[in-house]
Amino acid sequence: MKRVFTVGLCIFGMLLGPLFGLAYGDEGRNYFKVGVITSLSGDLATGGNVTKRGYDLWAQEVNRLGGIEIDGKKYPVKLVYADAQSEPSAGASAAERLATQEKVDFILGPYSSGVTLACAPVLEKYKIPMITGSAESPIIWKQKFRYTFGTIPPVNYTGSTPMKTLASLTPPPKTAIILGSNDAFSKATAEAFKASAEALGIKILKYDIVPQGQDLTPYMAVAKATRPDIIAFGGHDEELINLVKALRQINYTPKALLMHYGVTEPAFVEALGKDAEGVFGATVWTSTIPTHGEVLWPDAKSYAEAALKAFNVPADYTQAGSSAAGIAFQVALAQIKATPPLSPEEREALVEALEKINIRTFYGTVNFATEGQYYHANVGLTPLTVQIQNGHTAIVGPPEYAESPAIYPMKPWNQR
Amino acid sequence: MLQLLPQAIVDGILIGGIYITVAIGFSLAYGVMHVIDFAVGEWIMLGAFMGFYLNRWLGLEPILLFPVIFLSFFVVGLWIQPLIHRVLSGRRGNPVLMGLVFTFGLALMIRGIALTVFGFYSHSIPSSLAQGSLFFQVGPIFVTIPLIRLTGLGYAVLVTMGLYYILHRTDFGLAVRALAQHKEAAGLMGVNARRTGGHVYGLYTGISATTGALIGCIFSISAQMGPDYTIFAFFVVVLAGMGYLPGVPWAAFLLGFVQSFFLIYLSPSYTMLAVFAALYLILLISPKGIFGKGV
Amino acid sequence: MGRKFYASISVVVLLFLVVPLVVHDTFYLRVITEAIMWIGLAVTWDVLAGYTGYLNFGHGAFFGIGAYTTAILMVHKGWPFFAASIAGGTMAGLGALIAGIPTLRLRGAYFAIATWALARAIQQLALILDITGGPDGMRLPPFLQPRFFFYVMGGTVLIIFIVFWYLFEVHPFGLKVKAIRENEDGAMAMGLNPARIKIKVFIISAVPTGIIGGIYAYWITYIDPSSTLGDLVTDQAVVMAVFGGLGTLIGPAIGALIISTFKTYFWAYLSDYQVLYLIILGGLIALSVVFMPDGLWGTVYGKIQNARLAGSKEKR
Repeated sequence: MKRVFTVGLCIFGMLLGPLFGLAYGDEGRNYFKVGVITSLSGDLATGGNVTKRGYDLWAQEVNRLGGIEIDGKKYPVKLVYADAQSEPSAGASAAERLATQEKVDFILGPYSSGVTLACAPVLEKYKIPMITGSAESPIIWKQKFRYTFGTIPPVNYTGSTPMKTLASLTPPPKTAIILGSNDAFSKATAEAFKASAEALGIKILKYDIVPQGQDLTPYMAVAKATRPDIIAFGGHDEELINLVKALRQINYTPKALLMHYGVTEPAFVEALGKDAEGVFGATVWTSTIPTHGEVLWPDAKSYAEAALKAFNVPADYTQAGSSAAGIAFQVALAQIKATPPLSPEEREALVEALEKINIRTFYGTVNFATEGQYYHANVGLTPLTVQIQNGHTAIVGPPEYAESPAIYPMKPWNQR
Repeated sequence: MLQLLPQAIVDGILIGGIYITVAIGFSLAYGVMHVIDFAVGEWIMLGAFMGFYLNRWLGLEPILLFPVIFLSFFVVGLWIQPLIHRVLSGRRGNPVLMGLVFTFGLALMIRGIALTVFGFYSHSIPSSLAQGSLFFQVGPIFVTIPLIRLTGLGYAVLVTMGLYYILHRTDFGLAVRALAQHKEAAGLMGVNARRTGGHVYGLYTGISATTGALIGCIFSISAQMGPDYTIFAFFVVVLAGMGYLPGVPWAAFLLGFVQSFFLIYLSPSYTMLAVFAALYLILLISPKGIFGKGV
Repeated sequence: MGRKFYASISVVVLLFLVVPLVVHDTFYLRVITEAIMWIGLAVTWDVLAGYTGYLNFGHGAFFGIGAYTTAILMVHKGWPFFAASIAGGTMAGLGALIAGIPTLRLRGAYFAIATWALARAIQQLALILDITGGPDGMRLPPFLQPRFFFYVMGGTVLIIFIVFWYLFEVHPFGLKVKAIRENEDGAMAMGLNPARIKIKVFIISAVPTGIIGGIYAYWITYIDPSSTLGDLVTDQAVVMAVFGGLGTLIGPAIGALIISTFKTYFWAYLSDYQVLYLIILGGLIALSVVFMPDGLWGTVYGKIQNARLAGSKEKR
């Protein structure tokens, strides 16, 4: 049994070894250390990388101007990444590492709700504030985490607008088939669509939650038979593309096709080409809305240009929301005049400042709710309905923001 | 909604057609070489990307590119096979498990390289066949058959019949069947296990890659799409009876019908639960595949 | 069970107890706890796979059943943690009993795929039912005490290891089990009852896995079907066990340790190259199967044995 002993020794040697190597803290630093938890790999890597671009762009721009200005002096920011690997347990580990080893000042948060739910409790324990630029599931905000904020409102806040826009078109749609993929976000989206459709008096012919990635062609045969005015679908990028292709293949167009989330991603139009024309989506930001930013970027257009120049990929609202998260921290820090490294008292003050801020940015107004079901989510934005027109997204509702009239009904495939 | 019954049946057959293409090469490889290739989904993914890029650069209709894709991956398979052969001829350990873990490692490598080279984004392969369908209507009953899926079914039939012809009407096929039945005896009869095995593996990778391009036309593709197809290849082949090629179409159609019926008539949320439960229960009742003719 | 065994075990236990007193960094404690968890998962998989010869590709389902049972009992019924995790293990064991009787009649690849299909069906069930929260998952009451979880996870896995060591390496049960792996029909001819023995091993591999799942749920505070009932747990356990060496207990433990540590350090300090990790891991696995089919430990131990034999021959 000597083996057991030697093996045991090796185990501990291997695990404890690195202990003696690394030291962190840099307690005398003159820059802000910002932790970033997002999914750079795994199933959610596409979305995670969108948030990364948003956070990177913010850091680049802030540093280009010398840093965050506190009381006349500028402090650059340094981003420290931790990959959540699309797994809640990795997210929790990431939060632990950033808090205890890297000793970050604050954190920019994950793309997915699952990861957020796993790392939030860890951050509550270490009292480190986090703002996430994504994660639209309502369950997060219902948990009322004191240290977690989000610049994007949940889908139950934004989901009713597209339906309202559709209901205002002529002739008004009367029937709908609503479906959603069986994951937290998509299901919440479908529920939001359903609730608003019912409230508007639209008859729901069929409502289903379907398995993720399911081939929906037979389901669409039912749609073709019942001919609803609207087909609304909650899902993610690939599922959206597959649904449009399925409709194309069976040669059926409803009067309106509404999908979320993915219509605003560049891959959607790139993959579908002409077939994407006329699809409705939801957003809280496009590069053309008339916002005025007090910090960094003066308006949506300049942000969009900067984003395109930096990454060669057009920015969508998730990316914009991520950059806005950085801005929110920036403004709050300047208000409380906190300098790096942040002490626990300063982090408390940061949370209080975040609860109070109400600033205009290129992204829109950032104003976190302090009670209710949207606790700590950004309720300063206006949800918008968009539609793919001529290969790019155009705002078609609400009326005050509409850039062009909606194409309705949807043009049948073979007439394009 | 009895009017949708013919459509449900047609859809089941069409979904089954896709499953056949995913599984049939795999069943061949298992039957002959007893390797459960965990990388089958990755071959499909690679073929899909080859189809995507070739279509983009040459602007040709993807179906025309199929022979090119097939040949390219046939060669790749031929090249890789000796490594797999070595793994499987191990004297100790569980050769089935060893082959499985080896190909699992291979799959991870291929997926990692694909992610690095192709990135995370989803794509679609445009095909003129994906833009049309056949439409039949008799009174209130109508059936739509998307052309691209019909093509998929046709491809499945072609491959199945082609394999049947090769296996039962050529000398090469004779060698393959001998090898599948008894490796040592076949060797004594003059069958070069390594070379024949190599050709079979090449056939398998070629078919799988071409299937990938087809899938790119019907659905979308991404560097991470592999595992979803791997699991279906496994399931269809085991349901059919491992190595029993004639069982594959039946198993494929069965799984296709379960899906189309749940989506149209029953509760769509339960579709995949039904598929997995059906698979499990059938295996319990008939342990060597539906026909009991598995290896 | 000589004195040497007890001595070695005591040293291991002592070292184990000392760790949290030496390691103050909570992140490292977390890393070690996770490595220990994987040791448990790899070893429990191996007793069915390496010792008995049955590949359970639904092993993760035991983990998930344990996790969800614990979560449901704690959240909906207010049970305390320890009772809930034991219940988690019990449910997993029960599941093994019920599913095992019909499923263990299958052999080889059929058994593997059947267990995989069953596991996937269970995942779908968790996605559809309300009591599991569906795709939203479940949140457990947060109890963020890294030392507590280190002790609980470590203690559990240690006990599992010792019990397994006794059952499979010392007690004749291990020989019976291995007989089934080598030649099931022959074993029957020798008077063994393979069906009974297989079920026992199945349950023995399931209960600890369920308990580990319960600990995981309380530790991470959030579970959902894709993280706890997906293929990831099974895939990693399989790879770790094969890499380390099947048919032994130390093999999977070493495999789990090395791969888990490698994965975590790569992730923590090289996350810019995360995709490289897939390539390296895949290559590592593939190469190890080709050049070390007995696994790392199996090969090393084999060489030690050969050296010993050669040495003892010379002495004469």
